Amino acid sequence: MARVRTKDAAAFESLYDAYHRLVYGIAFRVVSDATAAEDITQAVFLKIWTAPERFAGGNFGGWIARVARNKAIDSVRRKSPAETELSDAMPDSDLLEERVFSEIDAESVRRALAQLPAEQREPIELGFFGGITHAEIARRSGIPLGTIKTRIRTGLGKLRSALEGTVRV
Amino acid sequence: MNPHDAMLDDIAVYALGALPRGQARAVREHMATCPECTAEYRRLKPAVDAVAYSAEACRDAAGGAVVPSPRLKARIMDQVRGSAARPRPYNVGEMRAVRPIVWPAYAVAAACLAVALVTSAFNISLNEELHQSQAQLAQLGTHTKLLNRQVAAQRTELADLTSTESQHFAVEDGEVVRHGNRLYIAMQSMGMPPRGKVYQAWIMRKGGKQMTPSVTFMPDHSGVAVVHVPARASQIVEVAVSVEPEGGSKQPTSKPAFVVKLT
Repeated sequence: MARVRTKDAAAFESLYDAYHRLVYGIAFRVVSDATAAEDITQAVFLKIWTAPERFAGGNFGGWIARVARNKAIDSVRRKSPAETELSDAMPDSDLLEERVFSEIDAESVRRALAQLPAEQREPIELGFFGGITHAEIARRSGIPLGTIKTRIRTGLGKLRSALEGTVRV
Repeated sequence: MNPHDAMLDDIAVYALGALPRGQARAVREHMATCPECTAEYRRLKPAVDAVAYSAEACRDAAGGAVVPSPRLKARIMDQVRGSAARPRPYNVGEMRAVRPIVWPAYAVAAACLAVALVTSAFNISLNEELHQSQAQLAQLGTHTKLLNRQVAAQRTELADLTSTESQHFAVEDGEVVRHGNRLYIAMQSMGMPPRGKVYQAWIMRKGGKQMTPSVTFMPDHSGVAVVHVPARASQIVEVAVSVEPEGGSKQPTSKPAFVVKLT
């Protein structure tokens, strides 16, 4: 990122090669449309190119994932503004984030997620990729709000534990 | 479940990004004062990042997997390289932010201009000095040529005066010497003429009826004077020297110091 801040196109290309599948994958998961996902991917990377100062440091993968998720949810929000209660955008800059996964492997995460009970996995995926609030999740599923919140917390805790071997402090 | 346990659940939902805006703000404010909730957030946040990575697209499209188009990269890089090659347009906020960078750029430009001006002035000065030096060199060259001619003339003069083939015609305190077509007046102890006066040579050519004016000269402080008389010596039959006003006379205005026939 330091080289990208100096408008080093080659460094930016390396950054794109490393993270474009993550950005595109998140965008596609949210919008379910290949063309729209590419547009979102393009917007995310061009934003990084024009405003690299928005990344304040820390876990770049986590940061760009949040940017991609927020951008994709914004896209969905513009198309269906009143149908659902949408969540707040995740903060781009997260100074509290001290622990990161040193080697996050998508397949490992998918396996870990698959091992969660559906009642925990579904609200987690819906909350992250659906961009809807826990209240909306509760409404759609017919499950009490408090139960949804507890399942989300429990599921995230299990996922954290399942991936513990790849976390560094 | 006590109220704080409920807050810990909210922390999990906040980390997932599934809280509405108002509750998200309240959770952030609570975390600023609650170490337990902050620790819970830090514990769960990597799990949320992992959820994000679960969506990462595959490296290839085998089996119908989701992959971005290869054209996407070309499209993005075209814009990146295009923008890298031209200056960014600024809005007012950016102008304020980049001013510390822009002004030094102007300062550098001004410094470059100043250096250029100083360098130009220095170059002009150097050129003037060069022209002056070249002029001085040309004058020195001319002077050297004159000196060389004088030296050559003096050598010739010396050779003529000391040559055994020269004809010497004695006069009071000196002599007139003829060597070929060259003619000299050589005085050894000549008195200085009065102020405003000089010595002037007169010559009589063959067949002539009167003296014609020739060169004017002054002896040195010791009374020595060696003067080349500019005329074809073989045509001169008589030489005289008189004291005349500075600049010479067309006719002698004083009694000659000497008159000598070259026969």
